[in-house]
Amino acid sequence: MSTKDNRIFNPNGGRYPFRATDEYFDNLTARIMEQIPEDTPEEEVSEKNTKLIDIHRNRRRNLWISTISVAASLILIATFALKFTPKPNTSPEQAEDMKAEYTTENYNEDLMQYAMVDNMDVYYYLSTSSMSE
Amino acid sequence: MAKIDEQDILKRIQEPRTRRQAFEQIVNVYSRQLYWQIHYLVQNHEDTDDVLQNTFIKAWKGIENFKGDSALFTWLYRIAYNESLTFLKQRRQMASIDDEDFTEQMAPNFVADEYFDGDETQELLMQAVSTLPPKQRRVFCMKYFEDKKYEEISDIVGTSVGALKASYHIAVEKITNFFKSKE
Repeated sequence: MSTKDNRIFNPNGGRYPFRATDEYFDNLTARIMEQIPEDTPEEEVSEKNTKLIDIHRNRRRNLWISTISVAASLILIATFALKFTPKPNTSPEQAEDMKAEYTTENYNEDLMQYAMVDNMDVYYYLSTSSMSE
Repeated sequence: MAKIDEQDILKRIQEPRTRRQAFEQIVNVYSRQLYWQIHYLVQNHEDTDDVLQNTFIKAWKGIENFKGDSALFTWLYRIAYNESLTFLKQRRQMASIDDEDFTEQMAPNFVADEYFDGDETQELLMQAVSTLPPKQRRVFCMKYFEDKKYEEISDIVGTSVGALKASYHIAVEKITNFFKSKE
């Protein structure tokens, strides 16, 4: 073992060859406490959790609204499609008859139902528009 | 080092009204000791200061979860060690060099460090220490510079005494070889 080894690995260990000034350690606590937010961590955490819960609630609500909207649109489309699509075992003549049955009056009724207006609304509209003319 | 009544601190930590004051006492008592533990790993004053502050900020964020299952210093030390590793990893990534070359190329210039207070041999020793992986480095420093008992180190780092002895032995062997290569 060399002299350096003997010196380094002496039985008493060694001194760590770095120093830091007393001034540094005197101000250390104050400097660290400046970095610490005034709020208690518990309050911070509960605030964060509240935000997370809000986000989740909004997401869930939006998902429900979207699902209901899509379902309503599908039902509406299906209703109209069923009305206009001839049944597979109907002959072309029967289909023509069905088309004829589906008169302008039926169409207007469906339209009114779709537009969510009733006869009273139509009378009101017609009477006010004829008055303005 | 000032003594701290951990039971009293625990009670004050649980109470939001006294938590900040209790935490300030923790910082006051343990910051100096933690500073050197971090310095063993990152090896310069500025980086140690940054890591130490991050350590206490993390500790503050998690203090309500500290239930006294381990000693307060052990808990703080583990945060400090993880923060030091994160820092070393970032430094390595910034240097954009692979792990093998890292210790060699990043060997600090201790003589230029205004906080270095040693001679040529001590500088060589610190260079040798800087080549050790963090786990070996911390065991070597705690044993060699602080003359801590293995049982004490084991309580702090959470590694078995046998594993620590093996780590220290390997570290000493590496340092000896480092010195031989410099002769």
